[in-house]
Formats: sequence, C-alpha cells, structure tokens
Amino acid sequence: MRFSVFALFFTLASVAHAELVFEKPLQNLHRMREDGHAEARFAFKNTGPETVTIRKVRTACGCTSAKLDRKVFAPGEGSEIVVRFTFGSRKGAQRKMITVVTEDKKEIPLDLRVWVHEPLTISPALVYWKVGEPPMGKTVKLTTSDERIGIKSVASSNPRIAATLLPAKPGEPTMVTVTPADTSQKETAELTVQTDFPADAARSYTIHARVK
Amino acid sequence: MMRRGLREVALLAVIAALPASVSAVVQLKWRPPAPLAEGEVSAATARLWGEKVLWVDARARAKWERKKIGGAVLLNAEEWDASVPRFLDEWDPEKAIVVYGDGAQDDAAAGVAHRLKEELKLDGVWVLQGGWDAWQQR
Repeated sequence: MRFSVFALFFTLASVAHAELVFEKPLQNLHRMREDGHAEARFAFKNTGPETVTIRKVRTACGCTSAKLDRKVFAPGEGSEIVVRFTFGSRKGAQRKMITVVTEDKKEIPLDLRVWVHEPLTISPALVYWKVGEPPMGKTVKLTTSDERIGIKSVASSNPRIAATLLPAKPGEPTMVTVTPADTSQKETAELTVQTDFPADAARSYTIHARVK
Repeated sequence: MMRRGLREVALLAVIAALPASVSAVVQLKWRPPAPLAEGEVSAATARLWGEKVLWVDARARAKWERKKIGGAVLLNAEEWDASVPRFLDEWDPEKAIVVYGDGAQDDAAAGVAHRLKEELKLDGVWVLQGGWDAWQQR
C-alpha cells in the first residue's frame, strides 16, 4: 500500500509535455508590390504523446492575420496555420513574427519574411567608404521586374560623389558605379535613379552614399 | 486500512508542501530571463555597450517624440524612405545598431532590423529584447 501511494504520486507528477513541431517555422517569400498580399502556410504536427490545444495564434501587426481550422490535436494529428500579410504601403524586406500559444502556455515563434519588390530593386541601397579608405568605385545593381521600365539617369546630390550609369546588356541588370572624389573627409550623397515608368508618373528611386 | 491510507496521503501532502512553499517564494521573486531570439540583445548587455551603440526607435513618431532612449534615431516602416538619410547621417560603422519597438509582442523592431540588414547590407544590427518596456524596467 505504501508503495502504491508513492507510485501514484510520481505518475501524476511526470505528465509528459505536449509538442507541436512545425515543418518550416521560417519562410521566405518574394512578391511584387502590386500583389497586395502574401500568404504562407505553416504546416505542423503533434509529435508528442499528449493531446495539444492551441489557445491562440498571436500576430504582432494589424497587417497580418492567421487562420487555423481547429484547435485540438491528438497525438500524430496535424494541420496548418495560414498567415496572410497585407502589404499596404510596405515595401522592401519585411519581417512578420507570429506566435502560437498552447494551452500549457508554451509559445512557438513563427517567422515570415517577405520581400515586397517594387518595379525596380536596388542592391545594395547603401554604399560607403571609411575616411582614408582608397576612393575606389562601388557597384550598385538595378533590377527591373518589367521590361517596360527604362532607367533614364542617375544624379548625385553631391558633386564630390559621382554616379555613372553603365550600359546594360540585354536581359541583365543595369549597374551604377558610385565613386567619391576622395575620402579625406565625411561626405553625404543621395543618388536619384530616374525611370521612365509608369509613363504618366515616372518614378524615381534613391541610392545612399556616405564617406564615414 | 482506509484510515492508514488517508494518513499516508496527509503525510505526503505535508512533505510536499514544504519544498513547494520554498519553491513558490523563490519563483515569485526571481524569474529566469527569457532566452534571446536570433539577433536579439538583452537590455543589460546593451547597457554595457554604452557609447558604442546607435539606438534606433522603430515605434511611431509620436512615441519617439514623447520619450526615447538617449540619442535614439527615428526609423520606422511608416516613414522609412524619409528617415533613412537622417539615420545614415547618425550611423557610425564602428557602432552597433540596436533597434527597439514597443515591447515583446511587437515586431516593428525586428522588421526594421531586417530591412537594415537586407536592403542597406549593414552588419552589427541587433533587436532589443522586450523593447521599450524592457528598457524601462531597470
């Protein structure tokens, strides 16, 4: 009898932790800005020996919503969480965090990274030199997502930092070389890339240059 | 037999209550720090970095204007294009960049840090764990 009470005590104390395992907790997507939104499916499975109840799926931004078809999962069962990120005015490299909270207060982070591409993508958007560094030209790549987009010019706000548009080969990105006159002192320049698209309101983009 | 069983249960309850009480007192007073996510830095560590940090405030402009970490530059998703030149003027390649948002359940800071790394290709970019809320709990 004495041992049976102890056995019961320890059995109740060692309840196994339930576990949800996500196939791809980090997802990288690339979308065009005009798509308006990106949708990611986070598939998961209950790999533990206990039933798991998802209490809530928390998103940290009003621009992100998460859908789940049910909340209780027996061992071996699984489903997917559908996360929808609405871009609004957002562009470039975006990161949205989603947290799955289970009934036993365990928190599982999900990470959605979406590159919202504009008609023209600039990489890198910053070139810099340290003061005293050799004033070698640095190259910036301009990639267009639409054949109708033409790059008309690149102009620098600072005559001591020059930008040269290199002739583009068919099907390849356009390159810009940025070169400081010298690097003896700190310099700042914003380089404006002027396109001819869209025809009725041609857009411009910015490359940042600094001597630091 | 029944009485003996009840006595054993009572005895076990008393034995369990003592360490449980001690544990409860200790845990209420001291909570282990949450583990750092990838790219996060704790407020305690960031304080140790002192002047070697450029603080970036990813919150809304109104909050930044009201109160901020000393010297913090405003850079949020809403005003990204307009704010990047000012941020770059303050930026120093020798300093770490620590971005903060409102709190632990806000991903604005992670978003800004991600853009700094991906679009401007900057290194040494960190997110303050727990954001502004954690910074104030000194």
